[in-house]
Formats: sequence, C-alpha cells, structure tokens
Amino acid sequence: MAERRSKPKGADKATPATPATRATPQQPVRGEKVGVYVCHCGGNISDVVDVDRVATEASQLEGVAVARHIMFMCSDEGQKAIVDDIEALGLDRVVVAACTPKLHEATFRRALQRGGMNPYLFLPANIREQASWAHPHSPKAATEKAIALVRAAVAKAEMLEPLDKVRVAAVHRSLVIGGGVAGLRAALDLARQGVGVTLIEKSPFLGGRSVQLHTVFPTEDPARPLVHRLIDEVKAERNVSILTNTEVVALTGYVGDFTITLRTTPRGVSRDLRKSAEAIAACPVKVANEFNDGIDERKAIYQPYPGSEPDLPAIDWATCTRCGDCLTAAGAGIDLNAEPVETRIEAGAIVVATGFDHYQPRPGEYGYAASPRVVTLPQVHRMLDPEGPTGGRLEIDGRVPRSVAFIHCVGSRQIEGVDEPGPAGKLHEYCSRVCCTATLQAANELRKKYPDTAVYDLYRDIRTYGRDQEPYYVDSSKKGVVFMRFANEDRPKVEVVEGANYPLKVTVTDTLTFGAEIEVPVDLVILSVGVQPRDISEFIDMTHAPVGADGFLLEVHPKLRPVESAIPGLLLAGTVQAPMDITESTSAASAAAAKVTALLASDHVEMEPFVAKVDPSRCDGCGLCLDACHYAGAIALQDVEIEEGVVEKRAYVNPVACKGCGACVPSCPVSALDVASWEIDQYKAMIDAITAQPLIAGAR
Amino acid sequence: MTDQRIDTDALVVGAGIAGLQSALDLADRGYKVLLVEKTASIGGKMIALSKVFPTMDCASCITTPRMSSAAHHDNITTWTYTDVDSIAPDGTAFTAHLTRKARYVDEDLCIGCRLCEYACPVELPHEFEGNMGARRAAYIPFGTAIPQKALIDIDACVYCGKCEKACPTDAIDFGQEPVSVTVHARSVVIATGFETTPLDAKKEYRGGVAANVISALDMERLLSPNGPYGRVLRPSDGKIPDSVAYVQCAGSRDETLGVPYCSRVCCMYAIKQTMLLSGSLPLADITVYYMDIRAFGKGYEQFYQTARSMGINFVKAKVARIEEEPNGDLRLRVEIIEEDGRVTEAVHDLVVLSVGLKPGDDPRRFIGVDLDQYGFVASPEPKLDATLTSMPGVAAAGTAIGPKDIVDSIVEASAAATKIATYLGPPPNSPQVPEDGLAVDVREIKAGDALAVAGRSEVQRG
Amino acid sequence: MTGTPIDTQGTRMLVIATLLCSYPGIDATGQAHMEYPPNTYVIPTPDPVMFPESFYMHCFEKGVDGILIASCGTDSPYEGSYDQLAARIPKVYALMKARGISIRRLKLTAICSVCTKAFLKEVSDMEAVMAELGPVSGEMTAVPA
Repeated sequence: MAERRSKPKGADKATPATPATRATPQQPVRGEKVGVYVCHCGGNISDVVDVDRVATEASQLEGVAVARHIMFMCSDEGQKAIVDDIEALGLDRVVVAACTPKLHEATFRRALQRGGMNPYLFLPANIREQASWAHPHSPKAATEKAIALVRAAVAKAEMLEPLDKVRVAAVHRSLVIGGGVAGLRAALDLARQGVGVTLIEKSPFLGGRSVQLHTVFPTEDPARPLVHRLIDEVKAERNVSILTNTEVVALTGYVGDFTITLRTTPRGVSRDLRKSAEAIAACPVKVANEFNDGIDERKAIYQPYPGSEPDLPAIDWATCTRCGDCLTAAGAGIDLNAEPVETRIEAGAIVVATGFDHYQPRPGEYGYAASPRVVTLPQVHRMLDPEGPTGGRLEIDGRVPRSVAFIHCVGSRQIEGVDEPGPAGKLHEYCSRVCCTATLQAANELRKKYPDTAVYDLYRDIRTYGRDQEPYYVDSSKKGVVFMRFANEDRPKVEVVEGANYPLKVTVTDTLTFGAEIEVPVDLVILSVGVQPRDISEFIDMTHAPVGADGFLLEVHPKLRPVESAIPGLLLAGTVQAPMDITESTSAASAAAAKVTALLASDHVEMEPFVAKVDPSRCDGCGLCLDACHYAGAIALQDVEIEEGVVEKRAYVNPVACKGCGACVPSCPVSALDVASWEIDQYKAMIDAITAQPLIAGAR
Repeated sequence: MTDQRIDTDALVVGAGIAGLQSALDLADRGYKVLLVEKTASIGGKMIALSKVFPTMDCASCITTPRMSSAAHHDNITTWTYTDVDSIAPDGTAFTAHLTRKARYVDEDLCIGCRLCEYACPVELPHEFEGNMGARRAAYIPFGTAIPQKALIDIDACVYCGKCEKACPTDAIDFGQEPVSVTVHARSVVIATGFETTPLDAKKEYRGGVAANVISALDMERLLSPNGPYGRVLRPSDGKIPDSVAYVQCAGSRDETLGVPYCSRVCCMYAIKQTMLLSGSLPLADITVYYMDIRAFGKGYEQFYQTARSMGINFVKAKVARIEEEPNGDLRLRVEIIEEDGRVTEAVHDLVVLSVGLKPGDDPRRFIGVDLDQYGFVASPEPKLDATLTSMPGVAAAGTAIGPKDIVDSIVEASAAATKIATYLGPPPNSPQVPEDGLAVDVREIKAGDALAVAGRSEVQRG
Repeated sequence: MTGTPIDTQGTRMLVIATLLCSYPGIDATGQAHMEYPPNTYVIPTPDPVMFPESFYMHCFEKGVDGILIASCGTDSPYEGSYDQLAARIPKVYALMKARGISIRRLKLTAICSVCTKAFLKEVSDMEAVMAELGPVSGEMTAVPA
C-alpha cells in the first residue's frame, strides 16, 4: 500500500475552510423531556419482559416526560403516539425499547421528523433480540436487564445533539482522465445522462491501447472501427469537451467540488497542415514507434495510423530538435513555439481511466533482447495487423517462421525465488487475466494464416474464462497448436543457437508428458507479457488515492465497491484498478458513471453526520490525532485565531473525508475529540446507568 | 385473484446481488424502482455463501447491509415471492404482468417473531441449507432473510391451525389468494441469476446417489457459521471427514453436458472452501482435482498461491468415475495428467463436486430478448455495452448474462443501471449542466493546442 | 443454552459490539432463541477503536466485572483500526494490573454477523471468569499514588 498520509487539503489555509456545512451549529442542550416507548411486540417482548414495569421505572427517571408501553411500536398507532407526544408534551428526545435498531431505526427517525424533531435525537433500546428472545427462561432477569438498557438509553439520549447530514454543494460536471475505451465509455455514459464531462488524454491521440489491436476477442470485430465508433459517439455529445495532450497538474477540493488544474501541451500542428506526409518525411529524427511496440521507428512529428483521432500528426517534444524541416516541407500548419496552456476546471467527481502498461521483459528473460527473434505478444499483434508495419505478415528476416513458441505468464503470476522484482521493487504476483485468450487468439490466427508453421504453446494454466473464450482453447487444439505445461518453479529456457537449422532452442520440462524435458527448435519466441500498473504516482500524490499491494489503484471493497476509490468522488474505470479486457473495462466505466451520477444526483452530496468532531476549547493543537487517522485529509491542523491577534493550531475534521471510526478519539490527550452520536461521555453515562441498576440476583 | 396496477421507472427482475445493486444505483439516482424476487427473501445466492474470495469476508455480513439498504430505500419497492409472467413493450414503455404468490401470511401484519414456526408440527428439508437441515411448513426463509416475514408452505401444511393460534398479530391467512399485478414500467433490468448445474449431471460421479458426494453450494452451508450442523460433517453418517476431494469442472467445460463454457467461479470457490476446510478440519487431507486453475480476478492468483502454501493438494487430473464404498467412502478413478500420467484410484470420505453455472431462469418465458445458445442474455454490443439487450429499455446484469463472480456481477449491475438511466433520461428535478456547458472555455486554449471540442474534432486556433 | 449453567449471580458483563459485525451477530443469537445469561449488556459502537484506555477503567470502577470487546477483527470496515485496537489492549491490561484487576476480565475477540455460536462461547468463557473471580470491586485496589 502506498503512503497515504500527507498534508490534508486546505491545511495550509490561514482560516478554517468549511468545505461542508453542518447546517445548525447548536450549543449542546441536555434533553429534559424524554419520551420512552416500550414495545410489547405482540408478546414477543411482553411474554418475557414485564413491559409495564419497564415503562413505570422509566417514567420515574429524571428527564423523562412520558413513558408508555404499546402493543406494536412499529405500527401506525405506535408511531402516532410518538408524534402526538412530541406535539402535546414538547418532547426533546425519544427512546424506543423494542426490536433491534437494524429493523426500525429508520422508521422511528422518520416519526420524529414527522413530529418536527431532529431525527438524530432518537435512540433505540434493543429489548427483543438482546433481552426477551435471548433470555426467555429468565423473565425477572430479562425485565431487570430491559430496565437497565432503557435507563442507559435515556442517559445517552439526554446527551444527544441534533445533527444534520453533511452536505457538500455539487458541481454537475465531471473529469474523466484517460482517452482509452474505459475513459471514452465513462465520458459517453456521463454526457448522455446530462453530466458535463471534460475528457483528458495524456497522449496526442484518443483510443488508448485498444486501437493497437486489429481484432478483439471473442467477437473478432476489427478493433479500430469499434473504438472509433465509440470516439465518434463521444464527440457527438454536446456535454463533452475533449482535451488531448493534457494532464492534471494540481487538484484541490472534495467530492462535489474539486478544482483541477490541467496542463495542455501544444500539439504543434494545426488543421492548416495540409502536407502531413511531407512534413513527416522531412523530419530527421527517428525514435522507436511506441504505437508498434518498438518494432519500427517513427519521426518526431508523427501520426500513429491514418484516421487516428484527431486525424492529424503531433509533435513529440521530447525528441523534436526544432530544426524546422517539417515546417519548411509543409509550408504551414506547424507551430514549433507554442507554449503549454494551463486551465482550471471544476468537477464534482473524477473518473480515473488511465489504463495500463505492458510488462517489459528484463533483458535476458526468456532470451528477450538477446535475440531479435524473441518478441512480445503486443509486437505480434502489430505484425498481424493488416494495416500494421508489416502489412499483416509475421516475418522474421523476410521469412515466415517455420516454428514459433508462445510462452505464457511473462511478467504475471511471479513468485519469489524465481522471478526478480520489477523497478518498483515488486513482483507481479497477480494474473493478468487477458493474456491467455489473447495468446490463443494469436496462436489460432497463425495456424490459420500459416498452416505450415508449427505453433507451440507453453503455459501454466489456460484461463479462457470469459464468455465465448473457451472455444479459442478448444479450437487451438483442433488447429494443431501443441501445448506444453511448465511448472512455475521450472521455467522454460530460451537459448540462441548459432548456426543451427533453427536459431532458437526452447527447453521445457513438460508436465503433460510425464515431466519429460523437451527441446523445441523455433524461429520465433513470443512472450505473452502481462498487464502492469501504469506509473501515475504524481496523480496519486495529489489525490492520496490508495494503491493496492499489486500497484493498481485500490477500490473501497474488492467485492462490493470495485469502482470506487476510498477518496470520495474518485471513481476507477478499467485497467487502472486491475487487469481486465475491453468488455470488462467498458462495464467498469459504465459502473463508475453510475456512481458519478448518483453522487451528483442533486445539487449537493449528502452524507451521514456520524463523523469526528473537535472541541476547540479543549484542543491544544498537539496533532497526535493526525497520526491516529488512516484517512487522508480527514483531520488536519489549522491556524485559528484564539483571541485578538493570537493564532494557534487547532485540529479540524473534514466531515467529508472522515469515516467516523473514532480511531482519533483515544489519541487525544485532552479528550477534545469524539464521534458525533457515539461520544465517550455518552457511553460513560450508559455505563453509569447500567451499573446503577441493582445486580441481577441470578433471578429466574 | 384480485388485480393491482402500479407505475414504476424501472422494473428489476431478480433480487440477488446484481438485482439489488442495479436497484440501488437507480434509486440513488432518483428513479422509482420495483424490485421483484421469485423467492421469499431478497439476497439471492450470495446470502447463502459462507465467506467470499479473496477477502474472506463473511458473506452474510456484507450482503445483509445491501439487502437492508434496498429494502429501506425510499425509491425502491421490494416484492418478494413474486413471479414475472410477462413483460411486453406497449409503445412507450412496458406492461408487465406479475403474480404475487400467496404466502398465507399477511406481510403487513407479520412481525417476524417466528411463533408460527415454533408452533408448526410439520418438518421439511431446508432448501436454504441444501436440504441438510430442517424447516417447518410455516417458516421464515432463513435467519437473515429480508423481509423477516413468515410464509406457509401450503403443499406441506396439515391445516392444524397451530400457527394461527400462535400468531400474535393474526397475520396467518389461509384464505389468501395470489394477486395479479399489472405494472407499467418505463424500463426493465433482467437479473435472474444462475442455478448450478445439476449434481447428477455426470452420472459417473454418483452425485445425488451417493450421500457423501455433495455440491459446492452444499459445502457453503456446511462451512457457514450459521449452517445446518454448525460444522463440517459428512451427510451419510455425521462423520468428521479426514479426506476431502474437490472435483473441478464437474458440470462445466463439457460439451456432452451442453455446458462447454467455463463457469468462472468454481476454481475460486473451491480454493476458498479448501482454505476454510483446512481451518475447520486441520487434520484433513484436502485434494483438488483440476484441469486449469483459473484464478484470474484481482487478488485471486495470490489467493491460490496462499492455498498451495497452506498444503492444499492440487492435482492436475481427470476424474473418470466415482464409486461408493459400503461405509460411505468414495473411490475415485483418477487419470493423473501430470507426473507419470498414470491412472490411479484414491479414496476420500467426502467428495465435493464443483458444479457449474447455468441460467437461473429462461427470460424468454416472460420477455422477448435475444439469448445466446446457452440461454444467457445476449448483448448486441458485447465489447462496448455488455449489459444492453436486443430490446431498447431493457438491460441485463450479473449471471443472467453469463457465469461470473460477485464483483463482476456488481460491476455489471451498476453498468446496467447506467444504461437504464441513459435510456430513461434524467429524473425530474435533476440538476442541469451549468449554463456555459463546456467545462473548459475553448478561448483560453491558444493556437496549435490539441483539442477536440464537443461534436467536432477540431484543433482550435485562436 | 450450552454447557453447564454458571452462577451469574452478582456480576455483570459489558459487551462492546460493532454495528457491522458482532451487533447483528448478537441479534442473530437472540433471533435463534439461543440463550445466554442476562447479566450481559451490549453497547453498540461503529468501532471499539474509539475507546480510550480510561473508558475501560471507568467501567471497572463502576462495577462492570467483565468486558468482551466483540470487534470485527480483521474484517473491520475501517482502515487499520483493528491493529490500533489490538495495540491498545496491552495498555489497558497494564492499567488493570496497576489496580489489581485480573486482566482476564477484558478480552478482545472478533464476532461476525452470523457467528452466534462463537458469541455464546465467548460469553460463557467470560461468565466463567467472572464466576471464578467474583465481583471486580473485590479485587480492585485504590488508585495508585
């Protein structure tokens, strides 16, 4: 997990920022007119607990204005009793002793609201699940216990403060970071639902990694037309603005109200460029072409493929020498002196769809870099693309390979002792999810295209899990792909063999043939490289978004809340969260859009008020609470003017970021912290009330 | 039969985790949702699981809050024990005919106290517990059921009237009849879930015949803290098993069964169960016979490696057949694929079949959406919009679209909510995009900047 | 009810229950009509991590004879809170020892939302401790100078 703690947003402002308002700041007023209602639950309680006695005892407690016992408190009649008493007697707190609050807490809170009271002045006492049902053979003791629980509830209720939901004004706009399929899908879904979208893409072109494929599994649809259809739909939306060559450089604010500074690097090329081809031809710079995964070169002014989006070259400033040859050749439409532009935007929520990188094999890993005949699957994808650099032909030295070996799990499912950690010091222990099917898709295509080429597939487990993916596995066996299975601890070896008939020798201990060591002579080795997290550390530093042990952004809950970051308002779409295929990425993006639209469903974001609070009269600004808190930005020290001209540090809780766990509470040496509605003094009052009740004398 | 009519923005069919999530996302957005469930409680299959992989969260602990949120949501009306008979487009929306089956208990009056259950003299196998425990004819479906409302299994009822006498609220109503409801719904989400492939699908495995050959879902209940026996015992004689075998793909990746596809979850649930078993039966040998271990999700491979390091025995092998010994033990004929490729026999005292997933319902029974050849709902746009269906205004999510685990179901459920919300248009009183429309003032962008602006792929020049 | 009945006379137990895990688990125990002694008082909390050491001492001083912290364990919905909670317990034990209170009177455990049997066992164990040791007032020494 990445370091998450740092200076909270707004902490450096001189005056306490109030990003969220708690609508009615009130001095705590002790409850003096408590209404107590004891439920019979049709005998479920009253058959064991003497509800009449419980009500009578309660009525004698200080501060209790009325105590009743009623057949069914959850019934209309029961709720009406509360509403009537609020109006007639001016109740200021309500205690209902009935079933577990899990069932009817919301019911009774609403009853208080109907009676004109703050709903948080209600307190339940659980005397069914935790008294009558648990002690059916001890009616006297159960009654004593119920009385104690009611006393405790009254004691706490008297100390309850009215609360209001935490509200943050929400901007009905969003920022989507990343112009691949996930970002495009999210932007389209948001725009179509009436949320304004700024879609930014770091590179000069939209489409992400998917446009590097020529077909997608399992539909076998051509990839670029599919992605461009999505791009066109996004462009047709009135509510989307798209910025390529753009990155986030600063970010402040909270869910509902982020302020983001974007930096747009100039493209260097405008629509006035009519002679693209001439300009590109004139450029003297040659660098590895990332679009083709380095199998060929491009210029410093380049366009990845004809019809890219935008359909216009861009200048790679990192390698451009500003020699001006392109401008000379083209005549117009190139500006080598344009400056980056910074723009500030507001957004209520942010969808992170920054995508992934392919695992880069270490030099020597399965012969990689030691021989040009050891390539990666993404490179093969480019070679198999009819519009790619080789026109769709898989050729090595001008010849179709006679024999190729795929090796799975390169950079995936790594284990200690066998694999070396990557640059981030981490092993890729995870499965990259997409490589098995992608590999078999390529293997089948090779067998179909080059029937004379022998195809070997060296794998650990074939994970063609997805819809219509298993047929790739079944077909590959039928098409004559030869499978060999290696153990994780006993990897295949790839050796360059000088002067032999085949330039590469792959040695594998094949567990499918009784663990025999098999030597496979091949012309080409194709490494099925995994998916790895892209380096977005600057963005992570800005947002404090939690990162998982695998380096991908961490979701709130891996089962239930997979597209939400723990940072409220930050949503995760696609491979920034985990390896996934296009279908899964677009689904995740649509899911992220659902969370954004729910957050921004009204002009404000509303959250439960059970968050930490600081008593400024006690706080001395020691800052120990900051260390106890695990949530970035939830608690901070701020300068507060104590008296005329005296400014001191005081703890400040950001109710938007606080989760209400109370981890900060015991860290405070002067007891200045509490969680609203779960205050330590309230608990102490409950303990005092419970222990004031005579001991249950084993009464049965 | 009496008749009711109701209007709703979205009709969600199925209240398992996918249906719940779609309903919650739509309701949070401000749409009115009618969530219907054919069984007597919401929660679907997930609520019956022991723990979930790879977090090992207790399943009911993380499911019940979701169930509760849906049940208490102001925008969600939940009807359990309700069948969907038909849903048809009626021009601008859909007309759905539903049947609210008779519980023989007035839901409004029932307080979930279970006095009827205690009074009922009829004992039946408990479906929720994989038929391993017992329930009464008058009963609440299970401990964490929502709603906590009783129903009477009228086929098994002996009409003794004891429940009626025991009920403190006079909720028992033997005269109750099914109610037909006509729903006018502006949109539909199909979340009809899955069933497992039958235990006896592969006759040679003796599932459904040999008592100690159980399905993985039964094992979920045995492993649950609130399960039928409270611990893991084998069904035939209550013996604590010393040697447990898992047979993977026992119903999946098998053309002969009509289930050639991978069911996606079986590897992971088996790994999870073996880890739980090694905790509750520390002395037992646990063997998993598998073809490929498909631990492909986030954190799953690491989970698998943990299981291996715990000493769970993973054997790449085909189980050819299973025979029952007189003492209830099971003799497995196993073709070991690795090592020497020998055919061998192994005796285990409990065998768990890792059964696969097939559609939980045939949506074509009630709605005219396209299905794939296996009966899962098909999308016309499988790569870019997996939750769409062939009918505008109808989305699908979760295992109704194909086998998948909880997290993938949840993602799809939220995605389906997005599709429905897009189709419906913003609910009334939704905030508008601020007047200036674009978040970026294009005039601030200077010459030569790469920019594609609303509707046009343009490079702006200032 | 399981095990031999324990004389619960003259003692009281506090159960600190988490809203997400043990509180519903204790409810489930009652729902199943699984009985346990009535001298048990359950107080709900979002997370027991919020209680300072002094709170536990307050309880003992007021006459709580045994405290069961029924946490979520590592299932805690809050980041890092279980570790913080677990780290606090030895400090409470130190304070208890200083006052002559047996540290067996305080136990940190984890109870899930359907862990009814586990809850009964923990209650029964603590009842046994309280029965053996008697009321806390009997062993508590004065505040050390």
